[in-house]
Amino acid sequence: MKNKFIRYWKSILIFFAIMGPGIITANVDNDAGGIATYSVCGAHFGYKLLWSFIPIVIALIVIQEMCSRMAVVTGKGLADLIREEFGVKITFYSMIILILANFGNTMAEFAGIAASAELLGMNKFILVPLCAWFVWFLILKGNYKSVEKVFLAACVFYVSYIISGFIVTPDWKAVGTNIIKPSIEFNRPYLFMLIGVIGTTIAPWMQFYQQAAVVEKEIKIKDYAFNRLDVIIGAFIVNIVAIFIIIVCAETLYVNGIHISTAADAAKSLRPLAGNYCYLLFAIGLLNASLFAASILPLSTAYTVCEGMGWELGVNKKFREAPQFYWLYSVIILIGAISVLIPGVNFVKVMLISQVANGILLPFVLILMLLLINRKRLMGEHTNSPIYNIITWAVIVIMILLSAGLVYTSFSH
Amino acid sequence: MNQNGKMFLYFSQLVNIDVVDKEEKHIGSLYDVIVGQSEIAVYPKATHLIIAKGLFNRRYAVVPWGLVKERTKHSIEINLSSKEVKFDIPVNNREKLVLKRDILDQQVVDISNHNVIRVNDIHLLIVERDLMLAHVDIGARGFIRRLGFEKIVDTIVRLFNEKAIYLNKEKLISWKHIQPLSINPVSKTIKVDVSQRQLNDIHPADLSEIMLNLDHKHRLALFRTLDLDTKSEIFSLLDFPEQKSLLDDLSYKETLEIISNMPSDKAVDLLDELPKESVNKMLSVMETPKAKKLSTLLGYKSESAGGLMTTEFFALPQQMTVGEALAMIKMDDSKPESMQYLYIVDEKGQLLGATNLRRLISLDPKENILKAKFRNNIFIYPTDSVKEIAVLMEKYKINVIPVVNEEKILQGIITVDDILDHLISIAWRRWRKKNPAI
Repeated sequence: MKNKFIRYWKSILIFFAIMGPGIITANVDNDAGGIATYSVCGAHFGYKLLWSFIPIVIALIVIQEMCSRMAVVTGKGLADLIREEFGVKITFYSMIILILANFGNTMAEFAGIAASAELLGMNKFILVPLCAWFVWFLILKGNYKSVEKVFLAACVFYVSYIISGFIVTPDWKAVGTNIIKPSIEFNRPYLFMLIGVIGTTIAPWMQFYQQAAVVEKEIKIKDYAFNRLDVIIGAFIVNIVAIFIIIVCAETLYVNGIHISTAADAAKSLRPLAGNYCYLLFAIGLLNASLFAASILPLSTAYTVCEGMGWELGVNKKFREAPQFYWLYSVIILIGAISVLIPGVNFVKVMLISQVANGILLPFVLILMLLLINRKRLMGEHTNSPIYNIITWAVIVIMILLSAGLVYTSFSH
Repeated sequence: MNQNGKMFLYFSQLVNIDVVDKEEKHIGSLYDVIVGQSEIAVYPKATHLIIAKGLFNRRYAVVPWGLVKERTKHSIEINLSSKEVKFDIPVNNREKLVLKRDILDQQVVDISNHNVIRVNDIHLLIVERDLMLAHVDIGARGFIRRLGFEKIVDTIVRLFNEKAIYLNKEKLISWKHIQPLSINPVSKTIKVDVSQRQLNDIHPADLSEIMLNLDHKHRLALFRTLDLDTKSEIFSLLDFPEQKSLLDDLSYKETLEIISNMPSDKAVDLLDELPKESVNKMLSVMETPKAKKLSTLLGYKSESAGGLMTTEFFALPQQMTVGEALAMIKMDDSKPESMQYLYIVDEKGQLLGATNLRRLISLDPKENILKAKFRNNIFIYPTDSVKEIAVLMEKYKINVIPVVNEEKILQGIITVDDILDHLISIAWRRWRKKNPAI
């Protein structure tokens, strides 16, 4: 009895030591782009896209699990593996894809910061540069690890959507049916939204980031089961929050025919919970989500690209030792911040389009991952099972078809 | 370029070119090159070429390099008929060093600069019929060449600056200074070429630095490649989290070997951090004298003299002559941490005094060693604190101090570097107290 108890505690302790990469990735996943995409999805389409979340959860778990497994078995990052197995050309072009996607994502984070500045009645020309400087400085000179906990704690903001979800008393039966029963349309707005929802939930940067985080933790194969649990919990967190954002926006905005064109529209969805404070609540939540992701994305991009290209990297190196690393990191932040300050930029649109770009670029990363994880020389007995391969190929084919459909519907009228 | 039959070629210009048989019939394309030990120089020679054919159902054949008849810019002709080339070789898990899989695009250690680099291209030397691995290319130009943009980029750069550094200066590192990191699938160690047993020549402090730059798989493989002394020395240099990470992957036998071979003070520091059960288990299988030493040391508090001391020292029996003592020192192959001082003891092991080599050498070999003894017999007890040790060292200007028990029997020695980190932290704490605002 006592032994059983000790063993039980021991496994809980191991889990807490290993926990992290999956759950942190998941919370960064709910960034400015994510909040905007899910809000627009709920406000413009009601429950029509809820069905996509069951396949998304499955795909997200499968894909992120593959990254963790590669990290544990090979001890290498995804960009390292791509370079070592596929050579310079494929590495170069996939790094360009990643840089483009993450430029978009970083812009979305600064758009989130600019939007919250407007909601808080602050001048975006002050808040955006301030946040850009904060992010830049935090990573290079400060202690990111200690701030990460603050960011994570502030993610309780998402709980306000879950509470609101119960306050607005939705028709749970309708929610249930819409989650199970797909309602597919073939028109441009619908396809655009669907790609955006998938792209924001399963973003290409997540695979690189998650694999790097697991490598850094040096998790051993014998403890791998805990790591898998971490991935599964993370995937559920993202998607439950996403579903509640959609429900709340559907019940408050969609039924009243309110379209989201600014962040203030999206904030109104929290009115049943916070009354007139909804703007403040939304602004603070959005600011935290944006800052959290903005601290991770440029750094993760710089790490990944330098890793693949074979350049010196790391914040413990001097500028002279790792110039490419610092340039890349700084330029991504700088351009991301400056571009949202251009007059007339619609922040919600920036956030949305960047997520659609994620969705379109996703299959390229997935194909490389599949080729890598099925190499016996790298993975030994830990290559993919057929069911994993089928699911991932399905995601690849579906994303390519959806993107083709989007292009087709954009030109056909 | 072509002088005296010698010329250079990049591997990227060789890989994927067509391979034809003696009737110039197409067989396949060059997939990889196996290299092996060459007798002449430190540069490994190509021994075989691997030919691949088929797009989806890819198959491979291995042909000795000696059969290469002619090599042009676009093809390699081999002295076989296509029927004689058998495509039945599994390419995976080869123990030999191959260029594409083991070196190109991989991380390697640059031994001369002590860092880990990624190979963009391989620079080959052609001497008559032989192909030798001369340099690795880690420069931007090598990268651009692999991308297929060398000509375009060269033209653009030339437009702006005829004498750009980019055009003339290749970033090549001689193979002599390169240690590949590919892991032998059988022995799980790094593949080491006979000509470059250089890893053990790198200072352990630099090696441990290099190891920290590697992922844990390669770190482990590199570690396993080293000899026991280097392993133990590196282990003594690492901090506990890194030691722990290595220990998790090492077998019980390897761990035991390393800990037994480490200086006892360092071994105790490590054992102190490990769970009690596993320490007891280890001590019970270790050689008895060593285990006894370690368990005594483990009993002392880590900031006391007993916890800091090492039990490897040099003791001379009092009845010896100077000549005998010197002969004994010469013969000894154990490596005490410090040979700066030698200690003279009586039959019971009680400390009579200290001496050093300079004193011994300057005396007549027939004299008794007690003649060489220093005037002061300085020592401390295992329970003395770091502070007391420091005070004595400072007062008598010595950097090694012997430790004795209540019966004055010599137990071990403490060198100044053993207490240095303690002293720094004491000084730091004191400074913090004085300057709380900073």
